[in-house]
Amino acid sequence: MTLLSVKDLRVTFDTEAGRVEAVRGVSFSLGRERLGIVGESGSGKTMTGRSVLRLIRPPGRIEATEMVFDGTDLMAASEREMRALRGQRIAMVMQDPKYSLNPVMKVGAQLTEGLRLRDGMSAKAAHGKAIEALEAVQIRGPERVMEAYPHELSGGMGQRVMIAMMLIPNPDLLIADEPTSALDVTVQAEVLSILDGLVRDRGMGLIFISHDLRLVGRFCDRVLVMYKGRVVEELEAKNLMQAEHPYTRGLLNCLPRIGGSRAPLPGLDRAAEWAE
Amino acid sequence: MALIEVENLSVHYGTKGQLVRAVECVSLSVDARESYGLVGESGSGKSTILRAICGLAPITAGQIRIGGQPVPTPRGRAFSRRVQMVFQDPYASLHPRHTLDRTLSEPLAIHGIGGSDARVVRALEDVGLPANFRFRYPHQLSGGQRQRVAIARALMLEPEILLLDEPTSALDASVQAETLNLLNRLRDERGLTFLMVSHDLAVIDHMCDRVLVMQHGRAVEELTRDQLAGAQMTTDYARTLFDASADRMLGA
Ligand SMILES: Nc1ncnc2c1ncn2[C@@H]1O[C@H](COP(=O)(O)OP(=O)(O)OP(=O)(O)O)[C@@H](O)[C@H]1O
Ligand SMILES: Nc1ncnc2c1ncn2[C@@H]1O[C@H](COP(=O)(O)OP(=O)(O)OP(=O)(O)O)[C@@H](O)[C@H]1O
Ligand SMILES: [Mg+2]
Ligand SMILES: [Mg+2]
Repeated sequence: MTLLSVKDLRVTFDTEAGRVEAVRGVSFSLGRERLGIVGESGSGKTMTGRSVLRLIRPPGRIEATEMVFDGTDLMAASEREMRALRGQRIAMVMQDPKYSLNPVMKVGAQLTEGLRLRDGMSAKAAHGKAIEALEAVQIRGPERVMEAYPHELSGGMGQRVMIAMMLIPNPDLLIADEPTSALDVTVQAEVLSILDGLVRDRGMGLIFISHDLRLVGRFCDRVLVMYKGRVVEELEAKNLMQAEHPYTRGLLNCLPRIGGSRAPLPGLDRAAEWAE
Repeated sequence: MALIEVENLSVHYGTKGQLVRAVECVSLSVDARESYGLVGESGSGKSTILRAICGLAPITAGQIRIGGQPVPTPRGRAFSRRVQMVFQDPYASLHPRHTLDRTLSEPLAIHGIGGSDARVVRALEDVGLPANFRFRYPHQLSGGQRQRVAIARALMLEPEILLLDEPTSALDASVQAETLNLLNRLRDERGLTFLMVSHDLAVIDHMCDRVLVMQHGRAVEELTRDQLAGAQMTTDYARTLFDASADRMLGA
């Protein structure tokens, strides 16, 4: 069943220095599954994710021939309708966790705000629910973290707080932008298993943006490979390590390996025609 | 004598009667021209060690010496010419209302170094950003592009020691490769010394001569590169990290 369908999405910025076409005609559809988006820095992964929430600041413009989430036309929805969807039904874990947390508000207050104001939960119940969410993402000493300000958290703790916060309202679609880049491998495995559980048991849809090809290959169902604002290849995640497109192969070849040579890593020769 | 010596370092934070032992009695030493890695659990105190060296975290106990001399408090200009840090969070470390040009030329201006125009262009080129990005603001860049600006800024003063906190975790494979190659080339050419944090054991293996594994604020085990690649760790935690990185092994 299709949860989200996107056709010919374009994101354009008109800047003083000229026009930047960040996304140039991206199409995909998502069911209750794990869709990975990989591709080099600046290829438009974040802008694609933010477009679904219509979170592109001017002068950025979004165009699409279709962008429909569970029957709602996202291109036609009013700003009020979008606000009701954001966070509740479609959540996004931003690439910059600390930047998206309020720096002058304690973590606990940020986690419980929605539960108290929107869901009318008592302070005590909301507190309990927030502690549970922090424990789920492997935060040690959740009581201490509830009382902490964002700058008192480590990089990976900030990332997990963001994930906990986005999962509390039980969204139907989660867009996770580099959600585990600051986590060590063992904590990362725990966090991924939570996301996996939500997709399998609750039927959540997941867009998983990451530059960690090995991780995406292991964790996702399908993968879009982006280059210069376009999807150059779409494939089953389990085939990612055997991808055939020269760009995807090039990315895979650049990876260092434990026990590998210390000679300079191979670069990527970018062919102009991949962007066509 | 090692260039960087951290001896029995403890960093504690007291917040509302709760004591956080961010770093607990950690010692390490890094030789000149060596590249030394820190890995370990999220929240185990890796960033805090780098921050303590730079004077950005309180030293509760222990000593930090650079070139045999205890670090001065405040660290001062001579220190920042010698030691530069690339922060884990490129969003928080770049001034949102300064263009890249200003971000990159400011350290030169502060230290009264001329020729900033040519150096800014060169610095952008070194980290693989187009010269016309010079007048962009941080919000006009992708995550990986910002991280490259942070690396370029740290290199502006041509420091002798680079403290690198997850320098490539925001970068895709190709830009990571270019950045690691750049760092290694600069280490060769300029005789730099690195102390770097990464979650990726393959990056550590590629870059570092030795690595310290951390958990709960403490040093768990130090490994040479050969011991790491040869799976010769003795502690359970280091073993767990290694086993969870099986997909990063040569031939995997
Ligand atoms: N406000 C803006 N003005 C102009 N260009 C912009 C703006 N915001 C983003 N861009 C450009 O849009 C392109 C796509 O950016 P996006 O953030 O989607 O990249 P990404 O694939 O997420 O990269 P990364 O892996 O580095 O996070 C980049 O080249 C970026 O420089
Ligand atoms: N200013 C502060 N006040 C209180 N506690 C702090 C402060 N800064 C850091 N901490 C705590 O110190 C501990 C170590 O944090 P640190 O940032 O060094 O971890 P890390 O090993 O770099 O983790 P990560 O891999 O997630 O970045 C964490 O528990 C963190 O919450
Ligand atoms: Mg991005
Ligand atoms: Mg850190």
